[in-house]
Order: sequence, then structure tokens, then C-alpha cells
Amino acid sequence: MIVVTGATRGLGKSICQRLIDKGERVVGLSRSIENLPFEVLKCDVSNYSSVKQAARDVKKMKEKVDAIINVAGIASMNMAVTTDENTVRKLINTNLLGVIFCCQLFAPILLRQKHGCFINFSTIAVPLALKGESVYAASKAGVETFSRTFAREMADFNVRVNCIAPGPIQTDLLRGISEAQINTIISNQIIQKQFQKTDVCDLIELLIDTRSSSLTGQIFNIGGV
Amino acid sequence: MDTEKAKEIVVKAIKTALGGEKEISNDMPLIGSESSLDSMKLVEVCLSLEDAAEEIGFDFDWTSETAMSKSRSMFRSVQDLAAEFSKQSAI
Repeated sequence: MIVVTGATRGLGKSICQRLIDKGERVVGLSRSIENLPFEVLKCDVSNYSSVKQAARDVKKMKEKVDAIINVAGIASMNMAVTTDENTVRKLINTNLLGVIFCCQLFAPILLRQKHGCFINFSTIAVPLALKGESVYAASKAGVETFSRTFAREMADFNVRVNCIAPGPIQTDLLRGISEAQINTIISNQIIQKQFQKTDVCDLIELLIDTRSSSLTGQIFNIGGV
Repeated sequence: MDTEKAKEIVVKAIKTALGGEKEISNDMPLIGSESSLDSMKLVEVCLSLEDAAEEIGFDFDWTSETAMSKSRSMFRSVQDLAAEFSKQSAI
């Protein structure tokens, strides 16, 4: 079984679909339960009690969990000085605390199994320090450091933790970013092309595969930076 | 659950984590340089206690602001952990 947060839209939905196509049992976590062709548990990742209940529900399913994929996230393209308090808190609560809560509360399931992996999501905005994304980038920089450190805490239990940092993938998070801005970001990648959701799905498959057993504590920048 | 019953469960969990019949005293420290448990074994003890609590019918929360405090942690000693386990069983 694979648990995916942010499962009902964008990248999360594509990842769920890919894994289902590969024959995996997928349990999605989402704030809104819509009519989806896979199991979805209602969960607000920024709410500790909500994540705890979701972890309890997954544990009760008594099935081996191969991966927890933390995709849930929000973006706000704005300069720090023009971002309101509520948006700052929402970004940190969802992007950073959401990942920390999901990792710490789902960890006991993987620790018991001495098997499985966490895959978290960062962004190219972190290494490029993209102007106008300071709060968003800060929340994701936190995810990167948490992932690298958490990987060391999990390693004794044969649990791996990695982080994928995409560039401008075509999702709702790109709303409000002009084509010129997207092209500027892409020009900073080592491979200067716009990657797609399918490229991220490919990397997910690779990281879940047992042949990736040597990979942990890594940040994978799609396209390279 | 009284503390004695909780202590039995805690001692069993520690013995399992240590993989033997080592004598477990009430004041045996579970954290710090004098502990026989490394961080991995401490987590194993917590997972066992979580399972035991589930069987009994309560949630054992092993997260705490003071988890690694030498003066206030529930992991200061076997006795302290048993007291915490007993306390949580009553909530």
C-alpha cells in the first residue's frame, strides 16, 4: 500500500493514478473527499489530530505500507513584504508542518515493518532563491533539511527518506506565473526543458523501488540545478 | 492500570528490545550515557508500549516536550516510564 497526501488534484492525483496503473493499492489523503477511483481518507495535513487519525486508520488496514508520499502543498507567489500574516502561516503550516506531522505520525507504521520510504516535495525555488517566492521557498527549504535529517533518524530501521524538488511542472501551483518567468526558471536548470508530471511519476517509481535501497537523505532536483 | 502492572509491561518491552533476560532495575536510565538502550532500541520500546496500550484500549503518546530532559523525561528511568504508562491508561 502507498499513502499519498494531496491526492485529489495536480501532481498528487497524477502520482496516485500512475501507482494504481502499476497495480499498487493507493490510499489518498485529502481535505476534500471527491469522487475518485481510489480510497481517500479525509485529512488536513496541517492539523496534527487529523493526521494522527489518518495514521491510525491506515494502521488499522493492517497492510504493508511501502511508501508515504507527501505531496500536499500550497504556493503563493508574493514578496515577503507584501504577504499577509495569514498567508505566511498557511504556507508554513501546510508545506512544512504538514510534512513534519505526516512523517512523525506515519513513521511508527514503517518503523514496525523495518521497511518503506518517505518521499517529500520541495521546489527549484529553494536552490535558485527565486525572487517573489521567499516564504514559499523558506517552507520548502525546511522540508529539505527536515528530510535530510529525518533520513538519519530512520536509517537504523531500514526506512528511507528522500525529497523531490521539481521545477515548473504544469499544475495549479503555477497559476499567476507568466510564461517568461517559467522560461527564466527553466534556463537555470541544467537540462533546460520543462519537465512534466510524468517525469515526476517516473522518479517516484524509481524511489519506491527496492533497487533504490541505497538512496536516502537526498534532494532530487528535476532537471538539475 | 496500577504502576506495578505498567512496570511489568515496560520491563517486558525493554527486555525484548535488549534481546535478552538482562536484569532490569526500577531506576535503570533509558536515556543518557548510562542507558543500555540506544535511540533505536528506545524507539522499539515505545513501539512495543504503543502496541500494548492498543491491546488494552488506550493510546500511548510517547511524544513529549521533555522527552530528552534528564530531569523531567518519562524516559529518566523504568519507574518513570511505568508511571507515565499507568497515568496515560487512566485518561
